[in-house]
Amino acid sequence: MAYLTGVAVTAFGKHPGRGPVDLMEEAALSALADAGLPREAVDGLVSGYATTYPHLMMGTVMAERLAIRPRHAHQAQVGGATGAVGIILARHLIAAGACRHVLVVGGENRLTGQSRDDAVKTLAGVGHPIHEVPLGASIPAYYALVAARYLHETGASEADLAELAVLMRRHAAAHPGAQLAKPITVADVMASKPIATPLKFLDCCPISDGAAAVIVSAEPMGAAAIRLAGWGEAHTHQHVSEMPDDLGLGAKLAAAQAFETAGRSPADMRLLGLYDSFTPTLAIFIEALGYAQLGQAGAAARDGRFSRDGALPLNLHGGLMSYGHPGVAGFLAHVVEMVRQMRGEAGERQVADAPLAYCHADGGVFSSHAGFVLERTA
Amino acid sequence: MSGVMLQSCAACGHSWQFRRATCPACGSPSFGEVEAGGGGTVWSVTTVLRAPLPELDVPGGFGIALVKLDEGPRIMCRTAAGLAIGDRVQVAVEDDGMPRAVRAGSELEDAGSG
Repeated sequence: MAYLTGVAVTAFGKHPGRGPVDLMEEAALSALADAGLPREAVDGLVSGYATTYPHLMMGTVMAERLAIRPRHAHQAQVGGATGAVGIILARHLIAAGACRHVLVVGGENRLTGQSRDDAVKTLAGVGHPIHEVPLGASIPAYYALVAARYLHETGASEADLAELAVLMRRHAAAHPGAQLAKPITVADVMASKPIATPLKFLDCCPISDGAAAVIVSAEPMGAAAIRLAGWGEAHTHQHVSEMPDDLGLGAKLAAAQAFETAGRSPADMRLLGLYDSFTPTLAIFIEALGYAQLGQAGAAARDGRFSRDGALPLNLHGGLMSYGHPGVAGFLAHVVEMVRQMRGEAGERQVADAPLAYCHADGGVFSSHAGFVLERTA
Repeated sequence: MSGVMLQSCAACGHSWQFRRATCPACGSPSFGEVEAGGGGTVWSVTTVLRAPLPELDVPGGFGIALVKLDEGPRIMCRTAAGLAIGDRVQVAVEDDGMPRAVRAGSELEDAGSG
């Protein structure tokens, strides 16, 4: 059994003068305090990477900074799915009997620690070095190719996708730590500057500074026990050139495994935490998971299905698109919000009741998928 | 011909672009290098208005397409504006080694003006 016992997230936005290790330290210490654990209880550590500090051994760097000597420490690199894979890996370490408390932490000063051009260039490097990157493609361009295909296949419109950006912004307005809280409309999204057609500026998540941490333990620590009930991964390709024709395939494979290991069905879920790097990312995940008909994710959002008082509240902190995206911490912030919601600690953002939740992230260009089911058992 | 090099499996006939030691479909190590005919269909296309590097920015943007070659592989190409998903294209490698897709039937005209 593995439980999410401690969670923490910093505000996302600008943290000038603070490096990745500083930010991760803050999140890690806050997560320990949240779990009520002394730092020496951490015997496993999975750290993210930082584009602003490309170190070979960030896991050990973090162990040293926290003055702990874990039995296992390493740096995981699965792009945007790193946090999700880290949490699943923590469960495996616990199941194997290798660790009892695993700290999963990510964070960096992606916004203020480098120029925007450097950030865009680094991220473009997930493309193929011979066959894709030299064409001048960027992460938004790779996702734009998938977005154009999605619109072509489903008949959804750009305005439908825009609904998802509007929803994330509305949710972020209720969280004091969100980077972007100013309300936007579908018209604002449609009028924002084009980045790579059909994606416009407001279809894209921002670049942020920030950090988040999750502690996964062999037993529950506080009053509410949040169990990692099921997990699944799928790694279908790296480069968009070799992406499966079924745009949702990786999400379907990972989710099927997660629901099977949890002994639950997608229909049992009452809360969603889905990776939302771009509006089409979110639309494709929602539809691959069966939470909207093909091409209908935006319409479902417009109808309130994913709002706080809807049937399936989604990313109530505002997601990557509005809470912000500092790399590995981006998806960990989703997990922090899920745990707070499931514990009933989300304040004015609190949903009525959420005993079961599904979280899902991708890395690369729909390349690596990791999803898990959370279940409140006490 | 297109100048686009593919690997083609001698055992199952599957073709692919990214260099490998075995066929991704059947695992056979027996394959040959073949040149693609260049004919294909646009699987997706985008106009990039914000390049990864400022020096790559082009006023009005530049096109990138994923083209499904008639031999099977989907490859990334540069392209001019105006292509749509499903359009038939002809792909040819340019001087820098990168492929460009143009609307089928327009390649002779393009070559003449280039």
